Amino acid sequence: MGLMILLLVFGLLVVVGMPVAFAMGIAAASAFWFEGFPMLITFQRATAGVSVFSLLAIPFFVFAGEIMLHGGIAARLVKLAAALVGHLKGGLAMVNIFSSMLFGGISGSAVADISALGSLLIPVMKERGYRPDFAVNVTVTSSIAGIVIPPSHNMIIFAVAAGGGISISKLFLAGVIPGILMCLSLAVAAYILSIKHKYPAEPFPGWREVGRSAADAIPGFITAVIIVGGTLSGVFTVTESGAFGALYALLLTKFYYRSLSWESFVLAVTGAVRTTAMVMILIAFASSFAYLLALYQVPTKLSGLLVSISDNPIVILLMINVILLLLGMIMDMAALILICTPIFLPIATGLGMDPTQFGIMMLVNLGLGLCTPPVGTCLFVGCAVGRIKIEEALKSIWPFYLAILAALILVTYVPAVSLWLPSLLG
Amino acid sequence: MGQSSRFEKLEAALDLIRAACIFVAAVALVVLIATFGWLVFGRYVLNATPTWVEQLALLLICYVAFLGAAAGIKEDTHLGVSLFRDMMPFVIQKVLLIATDFALAAFGIVMLIAGITLMQFGWDTLLPMLDIPESFRTLAITSCGALVTLFAGARGVLRILTFSDWQPVTQELEI
Amino acid sequence: VELRGWNIHVEDYPVSIAMESFMEEVTERTGGEITGQIYHNGVLGSQPDAIEQIRLGVIDFGEFSLGPMGQSIPETNVVSLPFIFSSIPQMYELMDGEVGEAIGAGMIEKGIVPLGWYDAGARSFYNSVRPINTPADVEGLKVRVMSNDLFVGMVEAMDGNATPMAFAEVYQSIKTGVVDGAENNPPSYESTSHFEVAQYYSLTEHLIIPECLCMSLKTWETLTPEQQTILKEAGHASALLQRELWQAREAASMEIVQAGGTIVNTIEDKAPFQEAMAPVYDQFLADNPDLADLVNMIRNAE
Ligand code: NA
Ligand code: NA
Repeated sequence: MGLMILLLVFGLLVVVGMPVAFAMGIAAASAFWFEGFPMLITFQRATAGVSVFSLLAIPFFVFAGEIMLHGGIAARLVKLAAALVGHLKGGLAMVNIFSSMLFGGISGSAVADISALGSLLIPVMKERGYRPDFAVNVTVTSSIAGIVIPPSHNMIIFAVAAGGGISISKLFLAGVIPGILMCLSLAVAAYILSIKHKYPAEPFPGWREVGRSAADAIPGFITAVIIVGGTLSGVFTVTESGAFGALYALLLTKFYYRSLSWESFVLAVTGAVRTTAMVMILIAFASSFAYLLALYQVPTKLSGLLVSISDNPIVILLMINVILLLLGMIMDMAALILICTPIFLPIATGLGMDPTQFGIMMLVNLGLGLCTPPVGTCLFVGCAVGRIKIEEALKSIWPFYLAILAALILVTYVPAVSLWLPSLLG
Repeated sequence: MGQSSRFEKLEAALDLIRAACIFVAAVALVVLIATFGWLVFGRYVLNATPTWVEQLALLLICYVAFLGAAAGIKEDTHLGVSLFRDMMPFVIQKVLLIATDFALAAFGIVMLIAGITLMQFGWDTLLPMLDIPESFRTLAITSCGALVTLFAGARGVLRILTFSDWQPVTQELEI
Repeated sequence: VELRGWNIHVEDYPVSIAMESFMEEVTERTGGEITGQIYHNGVLGSQPDAIEQIRLGVIDFGEFSLGPMGQSIPETNVVSLPFIFSSIPQMYELMDGEVGEAIGAGMIEKGIVPLGWYDAGARSFYNSVRPINTPADVEGLKVRVMSNDLFVGMVEAMDGNATPMAFAEVYQSIKTGVVDGAENNPPSYESTSHFEVAQYYSLTEHLIIPECLCMSLKTWETLTPEQQTILKEAGHASALLQRELWQAREAASMEIVQAGGTIVNTIEDKAPFQEAMAPVYDQFLADNPDLADLVNMIRNAE
């Protein structure tokens, strides 16, 4: 009965358009009230949910991404990508995807990726005759790769949700190949579409230009090397690496590139505050919500149900993926990671799956959810940047969905895709 | 949402409060980053780790999260599903928007009361290493509750007072 | 009534088994009037949250370390003083006697009723650099400690570099050298696999922090005196069971870590360590003059 109230209140509020974080909070408060608990437990859990040391890396990663966006690092990465892959068929689409691999690698925030690269590349793509929906879809779907290419704050949320037993370093390493795989798979889709629509290739600017743009972009890319390298080598903890990456990006754009004005610094800080607050408030109220799910023993019951439907690992993993895809359509990533990890991770490890591989699978899966309606943050932002309607984007997005699904299937059923690199360097 | 000029002063005051939230949260974020630099410097260079950094950071992040979230109510930037609401006739959409505002305001009041209770309760529990009462952490909740009530409540009231003057629009995200 | 119980440990841990046996005994002796559901694995939140929840009556009972309780109940902080108990058997005796009474009185004032004192063994230092035989061996080591002024003070009193850090980050941090070591009891040292990265385990046994099976005062007050007596007796009986299971578990863990290559050393003479702790005690008594009697009661015990 309490569980019914929790889910009904939540569902109703989401449908009428209440922000998801507050819908979870109100639903949790209602259920606590129904159970005769003080409602303040909702807020005690919420505060406890954000006061987690590992989560401190989130504002740092986000801030580093914002500095890259407003301090001119993003533009330099795009230039490098243009010099390297612009001469391929559908050149600007390739540039878009490759830039995401470089940029998403640092911020780990798909939305920052879209606002940074989308606002640079979508107008140029339109000018060169690319269809606006194609430009938006390439931007939106390729931004997802940044979630699995390290560093990524969603990996940290996963590690926290899994109870702290999972090494962040291992997750970082495990994400590299799946991230590249997603980009390759998207590039194939974009290439085929480019042939179909006869999109142009850009002229190759010559090796001298490649060298020049590389020299210009590499100091910016070192931000990622600091964060990932600092963590892997153990000079810093993840949190400290994030703080150092952010400080480095700040000093680099201010004193080396000299492209960070006071105004852009303020934009970066306030942008980071907004993104951090949005993610953190979701985490906060998802913690209250997850507490009740645990109290009602939902994880145990649901896993019992799943296992009773089939005992075939392939089928169970398929079911988990389908459930996650459906949930990903209506909820945001951070909240889902917190709520679903305690439910599905034990089932997956029970089947012999490595928890790290499960984490990457979940991130790829929920990443796809960021590009799907009705709640698809990346899709929304992409459409806003590209100035097209969501319906318009949806008409031609399916080849990109297929590309990500292909990557998801590989990550789900081929452990080596995620685990080979960590086993090599672990 | 458009409203007549007679509410301009109220709007300006609300916006000032919103900006103050963002300002405090931004300062907290910058301090957070700076203290972590100091942490690593202390550990490797001074060989004396500043032991207060971790706990201070856990305190500051609450302010970033809860003040930023309160400002997000005013700025209307929280993630939500407007798809179903958008399918309704305008009048129903407007009623739903107003109902959402008041539900948020009511939740804000619950949050405010809970925050005050937690602050009273936490007064004799000290935050480790900082030796200040736990209440300073729950103050973030209390402020967030008050601000959510203010922002959502005021918007609800304004929407009622100017009911015929505005139309719900599918939100354009600002980049 | 159906009671809700909180427990941070996995289901086959000594604490968990003892809690289940406590609940069984209570149900049986009350003829089914009191039943309970124990939520293991910390699904209902971390220890500091759960302490707050038990005070608010959201959780009816739970098993807590007295360490984190010190932030809100000063009396419980006394057992977080390094080397305050001279041995585990002495701790049992004092906690089951007037020291336990005195600490319990402080807990009841804050809404928590102790039912039985559990054992969490003795914590010792481990690191990846060198065995610790004297306080001087700690000098310069980066040691992870729990966030508590006493533990920071303890390491600093030996000129070590005390580093509070989230528990989850410790394994990786020792492995990569962010810190040199940490301190814990043998079962934690073993089950967290910290022994794989920090091979020197020096039996300083500097902290003997008892744990407590407790009940929310709010729930307690709704029970009849007969039920309360049953709960107290069942609580103590479960503590005796837990201590026995704990000793076995500790021995098993020591075997595992030694088979895994850990170099264990015992400390011949703990006096230099105890002397080094003087500033920690001075500071503590200066901050909590009311607790001098309690501290002396333990220190002067045989
Ligand atoms: Na990333
Ligand atoms: Na892109």
